[in-house]
Amino acid sequence: MKRWTNVLGRGGTVLIAISLALLLVSLIPQINLGTSAGRMPVLPEQVFATGSRVLTPQQGFQVKVTVEGTINVYLLEVGSEEPYSESMLFADAAELQEFLEANPNLIIWDYNLEDGYFERYYAPTKVMNATLVFYNPSSADAILDYEVTLTSTVAPGEKVRNIAYWAAPIGIILALPWLLNMWKQRKQS
Amino acid sequence: MGKGKPFLEVLSSAIHEDYRFPFLEVFAFLYGLGTFVFASFGVTITATGATNQVTATANEVVAYGAVSSILSLPLSIFIILVFKNIAYGLGSDLEKGIIQTYFSYPLRRRGILTAKLLSALGVALLLFLGIQISGLYILAPDIILPQLGTVLLTYAASLSYPLLIAGIMLLLTLKLRRGGISLVVGLVLYFAMSIVSGIATIFAIVTETPLSLQIISAISPSIVLTQYYGGTLGNFWAPAFSEVLLYTGVSYVIVAFVFVLGYTYFSRRLNL
Repeated sequence: MKRWTNVLGRGGTVLIAISLALLLVSLIPQINLGTSAGRMPVLPEQVFATGSRVLTPQQGFQVKVTVEGTINVYLLEVGSEEPYSESMLFADAAELQEFLEANPNLIIWDYNLEDGYFERYYAPTKVMNATLVFYNPSSADAILDYEVTLTSTVAPGEKVRNIAYWAAPIGIILALPWLLNMWKQRKQS
Repeated sequence: MGKGKPFLEVLSSAIHEDYRFPFLEVFAFLYGLGTFVFASFGVTITATGATNQVTATANEVVAYGAVSSILSLPLSIFIILVFKNIAYGLGSDLEKGIIQTYFSYPLRRRGILTAKLLSALGVALLLFLGIQISGLYILAPDIILPQLGTVLLTYAASLSYPLLIAGIMLLLTLKLRRGGISLVVGLVLYFAMSIVSGIATIFAIVTETPLSLQIISAISPSIVLTQYYGGTLGNFWAPAFSEVLLYTGVSYVIVAFVFVLGYTYFSRRLNL
């Protein structure tokens, strides 16, 4: 019984130590690698792509978009080994639609915006190319106001913080009997 | 009383001595922190708007690069822990006569050494690999899971030389019956490898023959692995994957031989 209390207790204290490390990692602020922004009219059936960027699991993609009119926003994932990177700037809507139909697995975002504001963050789980595409599917002109920020982080903050928030209480529960035992022993001696 | 109980007794006593509170916790914290802080996925982004450059072309190379990056400082921390456990853990047990007490247990000598090594090496390895691989999985599951073979091979190649030194330290500690000198020898051997591999690389570049690197790879296969995935040492050597496996296998045969010597000495020659 005492041996199990020791094993579980030390396991718990190790979990607490790992949680502290993860919490510390999640507190390291992200670095802004650069921002590209613009305001432009998008004509009916016009496609506008921001160009391909290489992202790693330690980089993220913050997108803020304000739309007047109707705009479809796509974030397309193309792995660094895929042969599509050369043809990512689509010449017209037909080419974009053809690509979307042929590669549904490469679509990360597919949002239809009508006179609204859109803000999303994306961090990949592998090394990949990402291309942000805006497409006006309507017959009227639309105004697109966008801001794309590339960020760099040590680790995906929210994910790491969540793991720490789960691991720390489990660690405390496991360690508590062992710590109490140790405290009692010290008190007796 | 069966043999299981005395074995567990020796093992728990060894773990208690090797990982006194808060040793284990401090090392777990350092591994956790180091895994994330040193992680790098081998891609260079020049500047926003400029052409982006991918230095890693294949997922295998990315996985290798990621593991290599997180191994940098945490591996040194792991080595310090293992060296401390073998030199001071076993050394002080020999000096204080605790090993003699263990000899009175209904347990074979090799069982006692196995329990000591499970504590000194096994627990340290479990903690190190568990935290590092979990950390990599949190960071990039889509790189780590498909490339698990590459990840494990990189760890195997990188840990081979430290394990060889651990074996040599074990032999020295048993022979001298104290840990101080073997700890110094272990640290010298560990840092000497970077100097020796540097000299071997220069020699290989000058002579344009990989012989010196091949010899070093037999005890430190991380060199052949670096050349296989990165080719950074020059164009004169392009090892095949089977060659990487061969060097890694040979290095572990050498490690196993040193540990067998340690077991033989402990079982037959060690007179206390």
